[in-house]
Amino acid sequence: MPPLSILLWLPAACGLLGALLPAGAARIPTPATAPGGKVRRPSSPAGIVALLGSLAALGLAIAYIADYKAGGGPQHVTDTMWISSLGIHYKLAVTGLNVILLGMTTLLFAAAILASNVRAGGPPERPRLFYFQLLLAESAVIGAFLAQDLILFVAFFDLMLIPFYFLIGTWGRDPEGSTRVRATTKLVIYTLVGSLLMLAGAVATGVLSAQQGGGHVDFAFSALQHMPLSTGSQEWIFLMFAAAFLVKMPAFPLHGWMPDGYRAMPVEVLMVFSGVLSKVGAYGFLAVVLPLFPRAAVHFQTVMLLVALASIIYGSAQAFTQTDARLIAGYSSVAQLGFITLGIFALNSQGAQGALLQMVNHALVVAPLLFIVALLAERAGGSEDIRRMGGIAFRAPVLASVFLIVALATLAMPGSGNFAGEFLILLGVFKAKQAIAIIAFAGVVMASVYALRLFIRAMHNRVGPGVTPREMTVRDGAVLVPIVAVILFFALYPQLALKRSERSVQGAVAQAQVLTTPRHLSARVTDLDQVFNATSQE
Amino acid sequence: MLAFPLAGTLISAFGYRRLPGRSAGWIGTGAIFLAFLAAIATLISLQGHSPDHRQLVSSLWEYASTAGVDAKVSILVDPLSVFMILIVTGVSTLIHLYSISYMEGDEGFCRYFAYLNFFVLSMLLLVLAGNFFLLIVGWALVGAASYLLISFWYRRTTATRAGIKAFVINVVGDVGLVLGTYFIFKHTHTLDLLKTFHATSNGAFGHGRTGDGDLVAGCILLLVGAFAKSAQIPLHTWLPDAMEGPTPVSSLIHAATMVTAGVYLIARMHPLFQLAPSAQDVGAIVGAATLLIAGTIGLAQTDIKRVIAYSTMSQIGYMIMGVSIGAYAAGLFHLMTHAFFKALLFMAAGSIIGAMGGEQSLQRMGGFRRALPFTYGCFVIGGLALSGIPPFSGFFSKDEILLVAGEQGGWHWALYVVGYVGAFLTALYTFRLIFRAFHGEPVAEARELEAGHLHHAEHPTNPATGELEDTDVGFPGPHHTTAERALPMKVAMSVLAVGAVGAGLVQIPKTDFVIDNFLKPTFTDAAAYETHTRNGLLWLGLALGTVVGLAGIALAYRIWVQRPAIAEAARVRFKPVYELFVNKWYFDELIDALVIKPTAAAGRFASDVFERRVIDETIVGGTTGVVRAGSAAVRAVQSGFVRYYAAMLVLGVAGVGFYFLMQS
Repeated sequence: MPPLSILLWLPAACGLLGALLPAGAARIPTPATAPGGKVRRPSSPAGIVALLGSLAALGLAIAYIADYKAGGGPQHVTDTMWISSLGIHYKLAVTGLNVILLGMTTLLFAAAILASNVRAGGPPERPRLFYFQLLLAESAVIGAFLAQDLILFVAFFDLMLIPFYFLIGTWGRDPEGSTRVRATTKLVIYTLVGSLLMLAGAVATGVLSAQQGGGHVDFAFSALQHMPLSTGSQEWIFLMFAAAFLVKMPAFPLHGWMPDGYRAMPVEVLMVFSGVLSKVGAYGFLAVVLPLFPRAAVHFQTVMLLVALASIIYGSAQAFTQTDARLIAGYSSVAQLGFITLGIFALNSQGAQGALLQMVNHALVVAPLLFIVALLAERAGGSEDIRRMGGIAFRAPVLASVFLIVALATLAMPGSGNFAGEFLILLGVFKAKQAIAIIAFAGVVMASVYALRLFIRAMHNRVGPGVTPREMTVRDGAVLVPIVAVILFFALYPQLALKRSERSVQGAVAQAQVLTTPRHLSARVTDLDQVFNATSQE
Repeated sequence: MLAFPLAGTLISAFGYRRLPGRSAGWIGTGAIFLAFLAAIATLISLQGHSPDHRQLVSSLWEYASTAGVDAKVSILVDPLSVFMILIVTGVSTLIHLYSISYMEGDEGFCRYFAYLNFFVLSMLLLVLAGNFFLLIVGWALVGAASYLLISFWYRRTTATRAGIKAFVINVVGDVGLVLGTYFIFKHTHTLDLLKTFHATSNGAFGHGRTGDGDLVAGCILLLVGAFAKSAQIPLHTWLPDAMEGPTPVSSLIHAATMVTAGVYLIARMHPLFQLAPSAQDVGAIVGAATLLIAGTIGLAQTDIKRVIAYSTMSQIGYMIMGVSIGAYAAGLFHLMTHAFFKALLFMAAGSIIGAMGGEQSLQRMGGFRRALPFTYGCFVIGGLALSGIPPFSGFFSKDEILLVAGEQGGWHWALYVVGYVGAFLTALYTFRLIFRAFHGEPVAEARELEAGHLHHAEHPTNPATGELEDTDVGFPGPHHTTAERALPMKVAMSVLAVGAVGAGLVQIPKTDFVIDNFLKPTFTDAAAYETHTRNGLLWLGLALGTVVGLAGIALAYRIWVQRPAIAEAARVRFKPVYELFVNKWYFDELIDALVIKPTAAAGRFASDVFERRVIDETIVGGTTGVVRAGSAAVRAVQSGFVRYYAAMLVLGVAGVGFYFLMQS
């Protein structure tokens, strides 16, 4: 297998290559008319380079998934000292926690780039810059997933924000009652506050652990895990990390940037933003917070579960009163990410395994859902308001079927991969805190209401006044069908992901899990030692 | 066996443009018929095993097995599941056949058969599931298929509303099932059904003890699932609305198969329920309440399909009551006979609706006796079986349930009495239907049909709202069919009529025990399975059943044929009671006021007030306010800072990347 750095930097390199291509190539007039009657902008060479780059990254990621040995620890490790005086490594590895997420990330970016190439209006204006930003974002996300060093993780986490800042500010649209500048500002302030807190927390972690260990500073996860911080330090550092991750997800009540942000983003950007970036936050909890700050995780377990529960209930309640289709998807994400957080803070393997599976599943459904919303808007005179939609199914049976599959997966229909994830999450929470699991089931019922409501209002009932029902095009199908195929695959065989992640997930939650177990149980064997050995072997 | 319906679904779904004419219907029917043959083959091979080894499990692949959770795709074949698949595939084959004619003029013909085959697939998955996980999957997939078929004519807002209602209530049931599974898993640590039962009998919930708290909670939650699926009070409101779907769908899903899944579930989980007597009591009481309440509502409804729907609820009430008091074979026997006669009744109703050009109101029907002789015959056979008149099938099965209730004595005598009161109501509302639809003065449509013309409504309207139909998606389409004019319908109904007459004969008290003996290997550990019939009670039951049924018919004859004025007089005299029945005991209003309105209000409050005031103004306003607090200078610094920070990071990371690319 090629070194991980190639997977990591390939997208950005392609973006750079596309940006360096002569601008003249994009100006070749190819008069083609989109179905909507608007003139299609010609496809851009930068877009094609970007597509090829993202597909190559997808291919590599699939190869890593196929190659991953389920029983082993971190694989394909790249470890070089980056800044030796500060103990910062450039350390990348494929682990059970990130291997499937890599596949999901590259799939969604490829789909988003394809979507931007095939949209009815043609590729965006100034395509070279657009694709450069998008691919830079892809590299940053992959980097955040692969990083095995705390500072490297923080660096990639912050790098993700920058391309999106430009993507929304430049290519966004002004949402009703707000402007894209306002939306961008909100988004940046929110995430920046979180990121800076996290940076401070990361530095503090390294320094404090070096002080305790009496040795030199070392930011690699494996080194930090060996020198756990005192409970007090863990707790305040935990809060800093939690702030960053909860904003990114977003979780109630830190989702204030979401409504404007979602409505301002171009749909391709939103597909990856909602599908992938939110997962980096959840991944951070699982891969960084639980192993490094297990005592704090146990201390704040109930708080985090309540935050997650509030996100589920609040997000669901919002999703079934909103009439803007995008916001329905947005608030449903708040609820779904709530489930994921719930699973992680069950602090046992079932919950965490379910959460990891659900990260993939949610990404797989929210991206096509948002793309479908864009297709619906094209048919409803540009409006994304479900009150102006209706009755499309008869003229668009294929679109309706695809939408139905996505909607049923969104509401975690048993038989979908999403249900397998939700089942494990709630089982984990049920073991940890029975009452919270029972209340969380209200979110399951509400999900069925909002997902079906969206589907029915768009597809069924009478044809809306401004609606021109028509089938989706082959180009649209090229974006949707592969993702739906993956959804169906995970519906039949979620084991693919679970098998690979099992060992790493157990390692990630092990310490926290032992701490939550009642003392009379954990005292009888030297569980802690065993667990410690297990995790340090990784 | 699962492969046949799956293939049928896929062929109909992908071939929706290419399949010529009505071939999708024949492919669908053939697929299910093959599944039926496979079911018979399974039966034969199962009977080849000795009675002690008639529980076969086969695991296909690991589904979500991790961290101590053993969710596999595994199939359990035992007498109970074979019994169910025989009923499901048998009745489904006939209903597919019926549908070929009934849905002939519909625009969504292929879509219809794709959904219908998908339903059969899900149902088979449900009854064959070898572990809780797969059971839940099948359980929910039949709900989805039911949703798709209820909303089949999706341009009707009434149909889409009914669909979402059915789906959401079924999700409530799914949640009950999942939570119940959790409570049981907590103690048994396995999802496999047989292993769970094994662990239970080995004392996972305490040795020799009944009524463990978690077990009772788990069983009651399983009951919630059963109630939602089987339309028991208070989760029943979706079933009458589900009549928005095409009539064959009502016949298959909402009468014969899916709604009886709750009965199957309780029978399947009997080793658990045996140890949770209080959960059993809940089941018995709810079943009894449902059979009574549904019977009274059935008396006052005027939509022919809804009357039959309430009758279904009521009959499932008997079954739920039966399996909850340990009368497993009797409950399942009634499930089988009910599948025959209720499917038959719906098919006959479909034929009348066809003759009426889509009209479903009893008030507009009358005198179809001569116009639809075959339908009339079938309806009467179905009606007699439903009313429990000997020697029709319903007589034996219903009385057997009540017999067990009577034998157990104690407060189960109350169930016994309720059962016979329910039987009286059943006969009354059934023959009200027959007398109003077939007797009396022929209406215009009936006379037209007698003269040889089938009535077609010129401007089809929604029977529920009177709204003009959008004929794009087929309903009601230009063509209506009656059984008299379509051979496939006639064949399907004839076979079912034979079943409705004769199915009871397989198990006559004191004579033969086909069902009992066949199912025995599944219920070896059920204490109440062996019935010790006391002769006196047996003869009392049989006599009482006959008398009560005939009395109901006689009263119906008096009210609706001899003296139509009585009905009117009674309506005026008992106005409050009548209002209660017509308004279905106000369950819809109750649920609306208790659940839907508060939730919607909370959602609106969240978006209108909370989101705007707290999230947007306080938190966002606060954050941005802090940043903007000082002056324009601060603002400039802030935006400048973002760019600076961004630029530094881009440069830094790009530099690092470049450095390492050089290195490697």
